Amino acid sequence: MPQADARVYVYGVLAGADAPNVSADGVEQAHVRTVEHAGLAALVSTLGSEELAAAREVRAHWRVLEDASNSATVLPVRFGTVLEGDRAVREQLLEPNAERLTEMLDELAGRVQLNVRGDYDEQQLLREVVRTSPQVAALRDRVSRVSDSAGYYDRIRLGELVAAEIAARREQDTALAMARLEPFAVSARAEEISSQNGAFKLAFLVESAEMDTFGEAVGLLRENLAERVTLTYVGPLPPYTFAETDLSAGTAAWA
Amino acid sequence: MAAVARAGGGYLERPRPSGLADVIDVILDKGLVIDAYVRVSLIGIEILTIDARIVIASVDTYLRFAEAVGRLDIQQADDSQGLPELMESMTSGGAQSKTKGALEGVKDAISGGGDDDDDDDKKQSSSSRRRSSSGSSSSRSRSRKSS
Repeated sequence: MPQADARVYVYGVLAGADAPNVSADGVEQAHVRTVEHAGLAALVSTLGSEELAAAREVRAHWRVLEDASNSATVLPVRFGTVLEGDRAVREQLLEPNAERLTEMLDELAGRVQLNVRGDYDEQQLLREVVRTSPQVAALRDRVSRVSDSAGYYDRIRLGELVAAEIAARREQDTALAMARLEPFAVSARAEEISSQNGAFKLAFLVESAEMDTFGEAVGLLRENLAERVTLTYVGPLPPYTFAETDLSAGTAAWA
Repeated sequence: MAAVARAGGGYLERPRPSGLADVIDVILDKGLVIDAYVRVSLIGIEILTIDARIVIASVDTYLRFAEAVGRLDIQQADDSQGLPELMESMTSGGAQSKTKGALEGVKDAISGGGDDDDDDDKKQSSSSRRRSSSGSSSSRSRSRKSS
């Protein structure tokens, strides 16, 4: 079977003029190459099998995008996207979406994604909840005086109150962090928190030239949150969060 | 992470390069969606996409919170910013790992299987774990050109 008909795994899309420099191996350790059309280039690698080991290939996907975005603006494609072959990449991805993709690349050029995550120290957070909520403190006292089985519903109620207090703090801290950082970004998103100790998870699109200004704001925020929240500041990342678009609508004409 | 003192008293922070664990959620969840894709099997994808939010609003979680709050030594609540607090949290690793979010556990599994590229974010993902792993893991930062 000629190479052109082999299925391809797609990592991302970039401007055809930006020669990507990808040394990382792709999915199934395949060589990463480009398929070009309409001034755009798709980063792909040829796929041999129909089954992919998700945990391993997620890593390959990530590495390829990290590598490529060192030298170019890349629109990441969702993990696990496979097309019928090079021809399908041109005719079903690049051709019908050329205008939209070019527009997005222009919009993201010279900008990077920076993530700021806040985490609580659980012990400290719980202490603060007990200290500041009389309701929680009172219920905690009551529960401590009875057996586990006798206090079952009180314990659920206590946990519920604690969870509500934590949710309220998350909301406050998310708003605080947003207020401090958003003015220095082109765009900002608050992502859903997916871990128990998470305070906030924010993604920012920042002008590369403004990274220092943004970094100063992060430093001030860290001082402001003091010991309460541990900040993790990560980047620059390919604009995963800001390239979130469903291209299905663009390809529907012939379907 | 790098921090440079500024004249005004603030700090200019530089982000650290991402590890896989920092971005696994977005990799699985975000990015361009293409209509004309071919279906392939992604073996083991379910363990990467466990929805931790289930954990956050269940009776089990409430009971765990109640237990954790009950265990607190309230004597220490009065000086929570001080050294005793720090000592306490350094020695309470057992209690903390019990209440660790489910997704973090999954991330540990991902990070642990394979190579050492994201050791550095395991250290960062919570203060207690940073303390506990800083002695044992070799962190290797990926160097990147800033574009």
